[in-house]
Amino acid sequence: MEFSPLIARLMEDLRCLPGIGPKSAQRMAFHLLEHDREGALRLAASLAEAVEKVGRCTRCRNLSENEVCPLCANPTRDAGLLCVVESPADVRAIEQSSAYRGLYFVLMGHLSPLDGIGPAEIGLDRLQARLDEANLREVILATNPTVEGEATAHYIHEMVLARGIASSRIAHGVPLGGELEYVDGGTLSHAFAGRRSL
Amino acid sequence: MSGKPIPLQPAYVLHQRPWGDSSVIAELFTPEQGRLGVLAKGAKRARSPWRGQLQPFRPLLVAWRGRGELKTLTTAEPQGQALALPAGRLASGFYLNELLMRLLTREDAQYTLFGCYDATLRALASDRDEALEASLRRFERDMLSALGYGLILDHEVIDGRPLSAARRYHYLIERGPVAAEADLAAEGIPLLGASLLALQQGEFTTADQRREAKRLMRAVLAHYLGPRPLASRALLAGPPAPVVATEKITTD
Repeated sequence: MEFSPLIARLMEDLRCLPGIGPKSAQRMAFHLLEHDREGALRLAASLAEAVEKVGRCTRCRNLSENEVCPLCANPTRDAGLLCVVESPADVRAIEQSSAYRGLYFVLMGHLSPLDGIGPAEIGLDRLQARLDEANLREVILATNPTVEGEATAHYIHEMVLARGIASSRIAHGVPLGGELEYVDGGTLSHAFAGRRSL
Repeated sequence: MSGKPIPLQPAYVLHQRPWGDSSVIAELFTPEQGRLGVLAKGAKRARSPWRGQLQPFRPLLVAWRGRGELKTLTTAEPQGQALALPAGRLASGFYLNELLMRLLTREDAQYTLFGCYDATLRALASDRDEALEASLRRFERDMLSALGYGLILDHEVIDGRPLSAARRYHYLIERGPVAAEADLAAEGIPLLGASLLALQQGEFTTADQRREAKRLMRAVLAHYLGPRPLASRALLAGPPAPVVATEKITTD
């Protein structure tokens, strides 16, 4: 069956969302048009407004419609601690699960020379300015435990060290509730190298 | 559809990039096929056995199927212990990978070069800092010769006289060393015979030899790499020294 041009276009456009194939796009389109036209209008308006207004926070580079995002502007956060992460999703994960009360810096990626992503592309000039201006006590490097994430952490560690600020790397190890037998070798060797005395 | 299964082969991941939501396309380096593109379906899923495996600098055993340009990965498992490259050496590792990505054609057997790569990565994981540079120079030298661009490091290219450590030479790219007095010499890279001989041995005894060998290799590699610079060199150089911080110390 052929869809009319507008419906076909809607389905095609919905497929720009991650994980949405032709079948799901069709379901979404029909749902919006048959059952929830009001929701569809709200969605359209939110999308248009968000795309127009959301930019990057000038302090942490996280997504925000304000020049300084609420997290950076919050006076109760500890301004002496800075946590460097790769993506906005990482900020959210840390905010939801840990007692961390410091500030963030979001790289929006990691160093990846073979993809042509160097220090400038992940905003390290901005981070450098931040390291120079603020009275930081400690920078926590929470990039992913991939090869690129480690290389990124090391590069930033050198920047931080040169300014006489303490830097630390988040621990890698056995997941809670996991069994050693099933943990991969790389993680296990990290867990041993990073063991703590009790 | 895919012919006989291929027995497991040693491999390293040179590079990987996401493909769709849950898969990755990995560029592998194997002895039998050289550089090889494989699609690893579902490698990013939480339960994938490949999650975390398809990383650079990790010795793997792999199998794949398919005949086209892009194969489908069927097996990948770690071979022996992971090489623990210290974080400060990762940039050197990326440098090796970038060279191979740029200079190797796909599916061209590279038995010798694979051995060199493996040995160089192991050296990166265990070498003392002083030995590191020599390891990189040996890799560059052996890579060029495996690709058919081997350097002449023991005799003059015009009259075949053996090089003398004490004399000065000019190295002509794609030709070889000529005596500094020769007519052609002006275009070449000037250096001491001892540096060329040290590069051939793969062991440097003085800082001058190291510096000259590095400059020679840079020029030769630049010739084959073309105008686009190597991105990993920026990483190797490390972050720029803090200007503001030193001012702070003096004013405080």
